[in-house]
Amino acid sequence: MPKQFHELRERLLNAGVAPRHVQRYLKELADHLADLRAEEVRAGRGRAEAESAALDRLGSIDDLSKAMIEQRQFQSWCARAPWAAFGLAPLLFLAAAYFIACFILWSGWKIFLPRADTPFGTPIPIYSFQNIYFQIGRFIYFTSPVLIGWLIGLVAARQRLSMAWPTLSLVLIAWMGGTAQIQASRTAVAGGFGHISMNFFRLGSSGQNVSEDIFHALIILTVALLPHMIWRLRHHYARST
Amino acid sequence: MALRETNPNFMNGVPELLILSLLGEQEMYGYEIVQAIRQRTAAVIAVGEGVVYPVLHGLEGDGALKSRRKTINGRGRIYYSVTPRGARRLADLSQNWTNLTTAIQNILIGGQNAQAVS
Repeated sequence: MPKQFHELRERLLNAGVAPRHVQRYLKELADHLADLRAEEVRAGRGRAEAESAALDRLGSIDDLSKAMIEQRQFQSWCARAPWAAFGLAPLLFLAAAYFIACFILWSGWKIFLPRADTPFGTPIPIYSFQNIYFQIGRFIYFTSPVLIGWLIGLVAARQRLSMAWPTLSLVLIAWMGGTAQIQASRTAVAGGFGHISMNFFRLGSSGQNVSEDIFHALIILTVALLPHMIWRLRHHYARST
Repeated sequence: MALRETNPNFMNGVPELLILSLLGEQEMYGYEIVQAIRQRTAAVIAVGEGVVYPVLHGLEGDGALKSRRKTINGRGRIYYSVTPRGARRLADLSQNWTNLTTAIQNILIGGQNAQAVS
């Protein structure tokens, strides 16, 4: 890819053009440039002269970027509605992940521990497959805030977004993940049917619980943010050199 | 399509019209389209060739064009062709353009006559 295309790509991504549109545009431009270069060589120009003439015919970076940026339909959702992409969507994803984790816990409790009052810390021994089943739910519960955080970082990196929206999104995810609490009880429900519920965004009642929630939220925030920060530093360094 | 040499204010809708018209005859890829415009207009319409792609992608997004990838001589090409919706859009644009050029022609002829009479 010619050096000019790198600049064009950065301009388009910074202007909010969706990465898939940018990728396709650059691919077609590269093909077009190859055709123009071949045409100029056939016309008798030297290699360097042909390259220069081909780039000139293709259009300036200003024209090429302006033509794409002016068409709003090529804008990504992150640029069109960042509040939805970085506010609403991650919280909905996390809620969906917690729902799946709760469903696994509830179904495992019903299938494998039908006599236990709670699926947590039961004295009834559980064996390999049952254990794996519960561990899958546990894995989803504990890793989903971080995985969603990494996904936010990846989207922000691909689209060259400023830190503001991704940071807000990660803080929301960390807060929701850090304060998430799951309760399971059979005896509290008439008829003995197992009941599972979750709380979010509410700090613990005692001082120790509050500090644990904040600590948990900070751990999620740090782990989720770290890869994106490393990418930003590397990208900044690569651009400056 | 941003223009480098042709006055852009007079070109609103023209790139779409030209592209739909050319692709109405046969499927082409971007480079072929630009060369066809250059040849058929005797280079009167001069464009930064790369800016044809946002127009093509926009028309495809609107459902006026469809694309398919073809490999020719070991190189992948994206060929564009007109859809039924694109054909209707071409008919509308052609009609508008004919009305506009007729109106302008009438004024120009009137102007020349007026000059000849005075």
